[in-house]
Parts: sequence; structure tokens; C-alpha cells
Amino acid sequence: MSDQTQTDRARPEPIQAVPVRHPGRWLAIAVLAVLTAMFLHLIFTNDQFRWSFIFSSYEPGKRGVMFTEPVLDGLRGTLLLTVTSMVIGVVLGVIIAIMRLSDNWILRGVAFVYTWFFRAVPRLVLAVLFGNLNILWDRIGFGLPFDQQIGKLFGIDDLNAQFYSIKASDLLAGFVAGMLALGLSEAAYMAEIVRAGIQSIDPGQGEAATALGLSRGQVLRRVVLPQAMRVIVPPTGNEIIAMVKDTSLVAFVPVTYELFFQLNAIKARTFVVLPVLVAAVIWYLIICTVLMIAQYFVERHFGRGYGASGRARQRLRNIQAEQGGVPASESGAAT
Amino acid sequence: MSTEMVRADNVHKSFGSLEVLKGVDLVVNSGEVCCVLGPSGSGKSTFLRCVNHLEKLNAGKIFVDGDLVGYHERGGKLHEMKGKEVARQRRSIGMVFQRFNLFPHMTSLQNVMEAPCRVKRENKAEVRERAASLLERVGLGDKIDAYPGMLSGGQQQRVAIARALAMRPKLMLFDEPTSALDPELVGEVLDVMKDLARDGMTMVVVTHEIGFAREVGDQVVFMDGGVVVEKGTPAEIIANPQHERTQAFLSKVL
Ligand SMILES: Nc1ncnc2c1ncn2[C@@H]1O[C@H](COP(=O)(O)OP(=O)(O)OP(=O)(O)O)[C@@H](O)[C@H]1O
Ligand SMILES: [Mg+2]
Repeated sequence: MSDQTQTDRARPEPIQAVPVRHPGRWLAIAVLAVLTAMFLHLIFTNDQFRWSFIFSSYEPGKRGVMFTEPVLDGLRGTLLLTVTSMVIGVVLGVIIAIMRLSDNWILRGVAFVYTWFFRAVPRLVLAVLFGNLNILWDRIGFGLPFDQQIGKLFGIDDLNAQFYSIKASDLLAGFVAGMLALGLSEAAYMAEIVRAGIQSIDPGQGEAATALGLSRGQVLRRVVLPQAMRVIVPPTGNEIIAMVKDTSLVAFVPVTYELFFQLNAIKARTFVVLPVLVAAVIWYLIICTVLMIAQYFVERHFGRGYGASGRARQRLRNIQAEQGGVPASESGAAT
Repeated sequence: MSTEMVRADNVHKSFGSLEVLKGVDLVVNSGEVCCVLGPSGSGKSTFLRCVNHLEKLNAGKIFVDGDLVGYHERGGKLHEMKGKEVARQRRSIGMVFQRFNLFPHMTSLQNVMEAPCRVKRENKAEVRERAASLLERVGLGDKIDAYPGMLSGGQQQRVAIARALAMRPKLMLFDEPTSALDPELVGEVLDVMKDLARDGMTMVVVTHEIGFAREVGDQVVFMDGGVVVEKGTPAEIIANPQHERTQAFLSKVL
């Protein structure tokens, strides 16, 4: 009865109150506006930036410093190094995370020691170290391990059971050394990120999948990892972006096939400092922007069934309301 | 039609020093509905999880449809099964959990299709058809593309039942399937379970729904302190309990 009278009553006037003033907020906006104006003024009027040097031509007959051949090569190197070392990092990181969560204490221990070592040693040190690792071996190859020692055991001198080998100084100089240094170090960080992701998933998920007869691998691939990706992707985005910038460390391997090294070389040759640095900043900004856009789509993919659920539920309720009210059995749970 | 579907012989299970199951004996015949009652912590869930080897026994044996669960018996010795073989055994045992445990990143239909497609590698189109008709059967024909997050608890639990049924199990285990539901949603899930029971599915149901046990149960088992205290027909156990612990428990829940 009381419900009836309530709905019959006229709707009251919409509230027209004076909003709370936020003078501090306006002051902050004014300060920011002035700072922005000063910054734009600086960029467009100060000729020390030498925009034509950056964009159109840095020496007679050459393109701007951003687009000149060695710099583009360096950019390709940076991108390639980022991609390859991140692939190593992610794949190895997943494996180490799974080892870390294993029932077997030896696997757990190995995974722990790995993360301990590669997180402890700075990437710069690793880069230099890997650049000099060829001191340890003459040749590196695939084949029977300990072949020389085994050969001696059976009285054969110089048994060579390597199917394929390459001179260590060829393999471990330059790009491969840089890639390994960055990739192996990255794996340690990715392992922790993946482990956190896996551990964030309700154990009931794995149990339900196991009870359905899925194998351990299937449980991981089909049920746990896809859900863990929601937790794994954002910090991985951070890692990739950090990696783009850390590739400049391989200059110490030394690898010259790298963006910042190339720009620096031009700076040293032409004695033009600021525009070269600005060119570097612009390239890094562009790469980072592309990566962030990619991350948005990846997150949206792995967020299906989750982030949208609140909105989707609202939409569902709206549809139900349009079709003549929420069924009695669902009205309770929809809230 | 009275072959033994489940046979538990003197099952013991401990977690560290805590002995949870202290010698459980139980026989459930094919086509029978066995309702397990008992106070919290009495080991009901643990027993159910032992039946499909989610937990390893410390002593005793469980047989499902004549096969020893989790082990091979060769020359008087038990050999642990490989993960693949245990998984194979679990295919024919469906399990429904208190907290549904639907896969939140898959739609209802994908939840139901996952195991037949991945585990049995059945033809996808056929599975899709069967999954859709199973969802229809539990009253969710219009929710096949909804993600679990968009469904009410009762709807989620019905999807979970359909998901278990998609593997064509010979035995269904229910662990308090309605305890996490609002009272007005309990009925819709129990209706689906009654329907299953009428179709002759063998079921072991841990529940606090005494009405369901009385109406559908062929056998009611009362567990307390890790042992079966009393078992019999619903009429015997619910209407006329002999043991004082059963009496005390029933007087509280009824
Ligand atoms: N994984 C585990 N590790 C340690 N102890 C456990 C574990 N699982 C269950 N237990 C303990 O075993 C006992 C029985 O648990 P179980 O879940 O089987 O009880 P239950 O009869 O299902 O109770 P409820 O009605 O509350 O679900 C409890 O004391 C619980 O704390
Ligand atoms: Mg329980």
C-alpha cells in the first residue's frame, strides 16, 4: 500500500544547489597553463633546438638526424634487441616461474638461485660480463657434454663429439652477448611477475579443471595462465618499456647497432648536443607510445569476462528491464 | 542394476598430523543418490575429493565402477598412477563445487565445451550442439554467450552442473552445491539435481538441504569426526536417527 502512494507522488524539483568552490584547483590549473605556455614558447622560439637539424637535414645532402641511415639502423637494432631479449625473458620467465611453484625442491631451488643471481647483478655489469665471456671458451657448440673428458676415460685423445660448434668470440661478441645479457636478466624479473600472476588465481580454478580431467599442462595453459595474464600484462608492459631503454646498455658489450649509440656518435662528430638528444627523446617517445597502444589491446583481450562484467551486467539488467522487468528469481542476484 | 558405483573401504586421510578421515566405509550403488550430512569439519568435502583423487589417501581404498582410484594394483603392491591415467579416471566423475569455480574468462558455452574438446578431443560442432542442449536442459538456453560474471549464483551453479555433465560422467559428486546461494536461488539448482536423479544418475551429494535428502536420497549418510556415524534410508536417518550425535545434528538443522 505504501509503495503505491510513493510512486503516485509527484517528482520533487531537481536539486539546484550551489556547487562547492575549489579555488585551489583553479589556481593549480592556472599555474600549469602558464608552465605549458612557457614550455611551448621555449620549444618554438629557441633556435638552439635546431628543428631542421632533427627533421629535415643535419648536414648538407643528408636527412635529418632522426632519419639518417645509421640512426635508423640503430633503431632497428634497438627494436630487434628489445623483441629478442623480451622473448627470451618471457619464455624462460614462465618456465622458471613454473619451476618455482613445483613440488620438487630441486627445481624450486634452481629457480630460486636463478632469480637471485640475475636480479642481484646489474644489467650494465651483465652486459660487460657477457661481452667478455668468450675468455672462458674457445669454441661453443652442441653435442655430447664432457666429450673430451669421456674420451680420455676411454683412452682417446681429443674426442670431438660436437655436432656443430662456432668460435666463441664470434658468437658471444656483440649482438648475441647483449641479447643474452638482457634476456637472461629479464627472465628473472618475468619469473616473479608470472609467479605472482599464477598465485593470484583461486586454487578452485585449477581444481575444477583437474576434476574435469584436464592434464596439468592443460590446466596451466587453458585455465590458469589466461586468467593470470590479467595480472601479468601490466607489469610486463612496464618491463618491455624499460627494456627499450635498457638496450642502450649494450653499448658496453660493445654493440654499436643501437639507437642511442648511433645518435651519440653523431653528437660526437658534429658537436651538436641538444638536437641529437631531443631526437633520441622523440624516438623513445614514439616507441613507447606504440607499445602502450598495443598494451591497451592486449589488456582488453585478457580482460574479457572481467573488467567488462560490471558494465555488461548493467547492460543486461537494462535489457531485462526493457523486456518487461527482471524475473523474480534473478532480481536478488543481480545486485 | 545394483552394481557398485562407489566403494570406499576404510579410507584414512590426514593433513600433516591432523587426521581428517578415520576409516570411512561407504557403498553407493549404480543409479543411487547418496546424501552426506554432517557438521562442519567432519571431513565430508575431504572424502568427496578423495573419490576423484584430488586428495591422496593415506590408507584404505576407493573403487569407482570397480576400478581402484589413483593406483594400479600389481602383484599385491600399489603403484601410483601417472597424471594422465588419473585424469582419465576423472573424466567419468563429474564434480560440482560449493563456489561454482566456473572459468571466468570463458562464456557459459565455452565452459561446458572445454573438457569434451580438450580432454576427449571430440568433434567441435557436435560438442557445441550437446553443450547448448545441456545448457537448455538446466534452463539457461538464453545464456550461452554470457560470461560467468554476468550470471547470478544459481545460474552459475547450473552452468557448472552442465559443464560436469558434458563429459558424460557415470558418477556426479556435489559438494554443498547450494550453500553459497541466496535462499531464493537454491530451488532452481535443486530442481536440476532432482531432474538428474530421476534420469538415473549416480550421485553423491554433500548437503545441508535436509528436504532434498529426504525427497531424493536413496541413502543418507551421517558423518562426524571423520567417520560414518550412521547410514540408511532417509526415513531411518532423518525421521528416526538412532545415534545421539545424529539426533543432536538434526535437531539443529531441522
Ligand atoms: N588442504 C588442507 N590442509 C589442511 N587441513 C585441511 C585441508 N583441507 C581440509 N582440512 C581440514 O580437514 C577438516 C575437514 O575438512 P572438510 O573440508 O572435509 O570438512 P567438511 O565436512 O567439508 O566441512 P564443511 O561443512 O565446513 O565444508 C577440517 O578441520 C579442515 O580444516
Ligand atoms: Mg566442505
